[in-house]
Amino acid sequence: MNNLKKTKDKEEQSGLSRRDFLQKTALAGCAALAASQLDFAHMLIARVEAGELTAAEAYELMKAENTLYTVCLNCNTGCGIKVKVLDGVAVKIDGNPYNPFTLNPHLPMKEDLNYAAKLDSGICPKGQAGHQGAYDPYRISRVLKRAGKRGEGKWQAIPFDQAISEIVNGGLLFKQVPGEESRQVAGLKEIFALKDAKVYEEMGKDVAALRKKKTPEEKLAAIAEFKVKHAANLDKLIDPEHPDFGPKNNQFVYMWGRKKGGRADFAKRFTEQFGTANTHGHTTVCQGSLYFASKALSEQYVGDTFKDGQKFYWQADQENSEYIMFVGANLFDANYGPSNRSPRITQRLADGKLKITVLDPRFSKLASKANRWVPVLPGTDAAFANGAARWILENKRFDAKYLGNANKAAATAGKETTWCNAAWLIKLDKEGKPASLLRASDIGLKDKETRKDKDGKEFTFEYLVAMQGGKPVPFDPNDEKEAVVGDLFVTAELTAQDGKKVKVKSGLQVLLDTVREKSIAEYAAICGIEAKVIEEVAKEFTSYGKKACVDMHRGPAQHTNGFYNISALYALNLLIGNFDWKGGMIVASTFNTDGTKTEAQPFNFKKITPKSPKAFGLSIIRHDAKYEESTIFDKDKYPAKRNWWPLSSDVYEEIIPSCADAYPYPIKALFSYCGAPTYSLPAGHTQIEALVNLERIPLYFASDITIGVTTVYADYIFPDLHYLERWEMQGSHPNMPVKVQPIRQPVIQSPNEIVTVFGEQQPISYEAVWLALAEKLGLPGFGPNGFGEGQPLTRPDDFYIRMVANVATDGKEPVADAQAAEIELFTKSRRHLPKNVFDVDRWKAIAGASFAKVVHVLNRGGRFETQENSYKGDQVANKWGKYINLYQEKTAKCKDAFTGKHYLGMAKYMPIVDCLDRPPTEQSKGYDLHMITQKDVRMTKSRTITQQYLNDSTGENGIVIHTSDAKRLGLKTGDQVKVISATNAEGSWNLQNGKKKPMVGKVQVTETIRPGIITILHGQGHWATGAVDQTIDGKVIKGDPRRAMGINANAAMWVDSHLKNTCMIDKVGGSVSFYDTKVKLVKV
Amino acid sequence: MNDILVTMHEELAQALQRKPDERRWAMLIDLRKCVGCHACTIACVSENKLPPKMHYRPVYEYEQGKYPKVSRTFLPRPCMQCDKPPCVDACPVKGEATWKETKGIGAGTVPIDYAKCIGCGKCVPACPYGARTMDEGKFHSEGTPAIQKYETMPSFEYGKQWPRSGKNQPIGNARKCHFCVHRLANGMLPQCITTCVGRAGYFGDENDPKSLIAQVKKANKVQILKAGKGTAPRVYYVSNDKLETLYR
Repeated sequence: MNNLKKTKDKEEQSGLSRRDFLQKTALAGCAALAASQLDFAHMLIARVEAGELTAAEAYELMKAENTLYTVCLNCNTGCGIKVKVLDGVAVKIDGNPYNPFTLNPHLPMKEDLNYAAKLDSGICPKGQAGHQGAYDPYRISRVLKRAGKRGEGKWQAIPFDQAISEIVNGGLLFKQVPGEESRQVAGLKEIFALKDAKVYEEMGKDVAALRKKKTPEEKLAAIAEFKVKHAANLDKLIDPEHPDFGPKNNQFVYMWGRKKGGRADFAKRFTEQFGTANTHGHTTVCQGSLYFASKALSEQYVGDTFKDGQKFYWQADQENSEYIMFVGANLFDANYGPSNRSPRITQRLADGKLKITVLDPRFSKLASKANRWVPVLPGTDAAFANGAARWILENKRFDAKYLGNANKAAATAGKETTWCNAAWLIKLDKEGKPASLLRASDIGLKDKETRKDKDGKEFTFEYLVAMQGGKPVPFDPNDEKEAVVGDLFVTAELTAQDGKKVKVKSGLQVLLDTVREKSIAEYAAICGIEAKVIEEVAKEFTSYGKKACVDMHRGPAQHTNGFYNISALYALNLLIGNFDWKGGMIVASTFNTDGTKTEAQPFNFKKITPKSPKAFGLSIIRHDAKYEESTIFDKDKYPAKRNWWPLSSDVYEEIIPSCADAYPYPIKALFSYCGAPTYSLPAGHTQIEALVNLERIPLYFASDITIGVTTVYADYIFPDLHYLERWEMQGSHPNMPVKVQPIRQPVIQSPNEIVTVFGEQQPISYEAVWLALAEKLGLPGFGPNGFGEGQPLTRPDDFYIRMVANVATDGKEPVADAQAAEIELFTKSRRHLPKNVFDVDRWKAIAGASFAKVVHVLNRGGRFETQENSYKGDQVANKWGKYINLYQEKTAKCKDAFTGKHYLGMAKYMPIVDCLDRPPTEQSKGYDLHMITQKDVRMTKSRTITQQYLNDSTGENGIVIHTSDAKRLGLKTGDQVKVISATNAEGSWNLQNGKKKPMVGKVQVTETIRPGIITILHGQGHWATGAVDQTIDGKVIKGDPRRAMGINANAAMWVDSHLKNTCMIDKVGGSVSFYDTKVKLVKV
Repeated sequence: MNDILVTMHEELAQALQRKPDERRWAMLIDLRKCVGCHACTIACVSENKLPPKMHYRPVYEYEQGKYPKVSRTFLPRPCMQCDKPPCVDACPVKGEATWKETKGIGAGTVPIDYAKCIGCGKCVPACPYGARTMDEGKFHSEGTPAIQKYETMPSFEYGKQWPRSGKNQPIGNARKCHFCVHRLANGMLPQCITTCVGRAGYFGDENDPKSLIAQVKKANKVQILKAGKGTAPRVYYVSNDKLETLYR
């Protein structure tokens, strides 16, 4: 309040009324260009003309003192960039030569900064245009509060503190909006109901136990018992009849789009203290089923079950591969990404040292450089993979040695660092289908053991079984001493302890039997190609030893069968055992940020973070949970109202529609950060419909840098910092063999309003929102003693400088200390940054003894291992080094929440279906074209439209169609057509504000796409983000029609016929169905 | 093995120590390696503060064949810095506004002196490659709430500073690619070369037989654009396509 008063006093002095002030400054770019801004340039030119400066001196952009290193975020590749700053303005961006994403090999860290300043390395056009995003005239700089209906585009700029107060306290927040006069909104204070960590723990434990009850009666009894035991705290639950919904705290839902390390940790610090189970990312709109199939592949056998699977994936070590089959991956346009992957392959492609096959219905840029293009039908990737696997198995082209290794000891003896379950025995169920792995105790071969983990906790260990020469042998998969190699093809009947017969097969036998369900000709027919193509590709793939890869991305993942497509494709990599090998499949590797890795790291975040309550209860998207174990299963049975996600998380398409369905419970507040689900998701219009539902989403606040295509529906928008103004720990991607930690840091000043949080001045930011909410709610772990007594967490740098210090000191050796000259350059190159962003003394105090190392790292935009240290002999240095599931027991044990059927432990081709397993026959009738989408290197989904360099170069997107289809439909290039489908017969976006945006675009006729398929480029067709007029404080801000150009046809993508308010989904892996819809083009 | 960017960067330092008349700046673009990313186009726009719709170095895209036997070719087109430049002949300010440079760092290029250029536009149609465009003084952020400062900050073309506002040069002038002579002067490669993610671009002194560009030129069959025009370009291409049939 003090702060508010101060502002007011200042305004009164200046004679500027609050209203004038707000109108002038709510948009960052609205201030007219002051004449004084040209002075700098004029001064320079005058000096050149007067002969004071030579031409060479005048090239200010080559000077180290005008150069800052950070990380791009115009797409998630996150290439290292070098930002050239003149007079405080980022005027040019190039590649950071210290960062291996832009130079191969990159400069070693020890290389001089003056040398690096003059060596620009390669980044893509989005990176080149990045500063246009920072200087977007439509950026907001003050908090905007909705002054009309959701989505109406009427706003009032309000003080930051007022917005925080209203969100925390709730009340009649929108009484000035017609229809909402008496709508009472619950604030976070009310939602933050349960605070007692002990109660959290007790209730959490009891809920976990309740979920394990087998019968409805037992469950009811457990609920009754729970209610008695927790009588004093039942008012803090969402629904005492369903304790598994968890506390009211879960009614605060936080969701995000593009967020990286650092910011992720910052948010977690808040949400963990708040105790909500509802924190959800966006993974499934990108390539979720790739991540979650890989998670399933990476589950480790611990004790007697599978756990610790990682949400990650593998990619090819493309610089050493000799053959790569790229499936639905276009690394020249996207795919993490053009700048790092292209220079590693183009010369070798030209020289014929690398051969590639591209599976894609579209003749992508990558396909144009390929030795073979295979235009498979969308969604048939697993059929191709199954066919290839069949050929490889039947022609004995697999690596039998690799596959035979049943445990770590065997793998190590064979110089392998990974191993799989090809030789493990799997039990068959009554129908002869593979189910659980055989435990040695099942057949009385070896008893269970009680073992102790590294913390001394006891657990039960069960031996598994492989067959050796027809004789069952027990083994421990993680045993490092006793090597067990098993028979690969086993079908047998063993005798259980009780005398019953147990039918078993080996993992590889299960694969063989699975892929033999169809002939190669049948698989080829599904793919719409010739059988010999599958055979030839399978032969090629198995002709290069370990230096061959199947590298995949969105293409196979974004279908209703995505999880199985990915798993089936990875099986090919397992057949040649290429993991961790030079030229094979590799993992990402990063320097640690949270200080939990080595003793030398000064800030162990585990130790400087207060213990938080352990959130419990179902999330609004029902992830990490089995439907059958919930308290609603017994009443509802199959099919469930919506899906449950025992194997996947961050299921983006589920968040908002689940809120609208109040399934499994109603929520009270939604906070979104850097995301555009309405625009990016298939059937995004259903997300809009859900967002305007005031009853089901009573409070929606957002962090964004403009009034975006989703945040235009928010109640409050907090201006965020552009990526050139903020911190983040970018991390890496699995195609990068070098261990890295690129660090995003502020390189220019933010236009945002300066506010005071915990007594500290700072521009409004994402962090400032969390800090201010924490201050108001009194959350521990924030404030003057946030990191411990006298150790404040009151601003972003308190958090991130500590992380940088941890990065600098991770590993065997820390980085070098910056010498005096470098420290001076560090300060000088940041001379344009205000104290509320950069203060060398403050940073020194935060970093403590590590300051000189922090400088060394920040002066280079992160920490990067050398290229030489990234390989060891024939293998990569940064290894996966663990077991991989060919057969997925954990997956097989989960059930489909709609049909009650078990998921498949061995992946195979599954046709495209809706939630209830119905093929989309009806909605395809009369719709003759199969719609897919694509990226162009100049456009990321929703955020690049603000950058006119890119729009100008890309031009208006269109509907790309094959010549034969165009001819059949009487269309030619340039014709305007509308895209319609069975679930959007009108062919438009209902923006729910009285306006509709028709899905009309221009036809582009080509030979470079499979007939019957059309594709549309992502990134255009906006209805906000500066594209249309907005009214702020009664003043109309005119939109820029260039941002509304083009077409986004996501609203034509099928709505699932059971869910009714969401696109079609991959029930297992979470991915949205992006490439399954059939549409029709109607001439306009 | 160095990244070719580092190799060429180091070669440039050596080349700059040679006399202008011993040196022959040339560019080579290996289309087999061009991935059609347009980074060169945008980097050049940003470096040289080009207004909307002006591209010193567009990348043309070509499709050939019938499904499924198709091909795509990406062809970046900088100024050819012709040894026989028709644009120079077309200029009424004979030899002063635009000429074939023989002196200094930019020897071999075809520069424009913005102060001498009268903005008549006659050079624009004279170029067979369409490499020249008139600067009409537009801004990318025009039509939005405010013109942004980064657009008015100076470009450094020809080793001078050109703040962009009002009727300041080069507004009203013809403009074109100059091999980033302001960067060469400072030991930096042209912007289109440094940001080429496919590493398709080569630049250097082709008179030095050890230079990468000379070696690549020697090892491959090179083509020039519109050979029939007799312009003697200094930009060479390596391609699996016959460029004379693609680029007419």
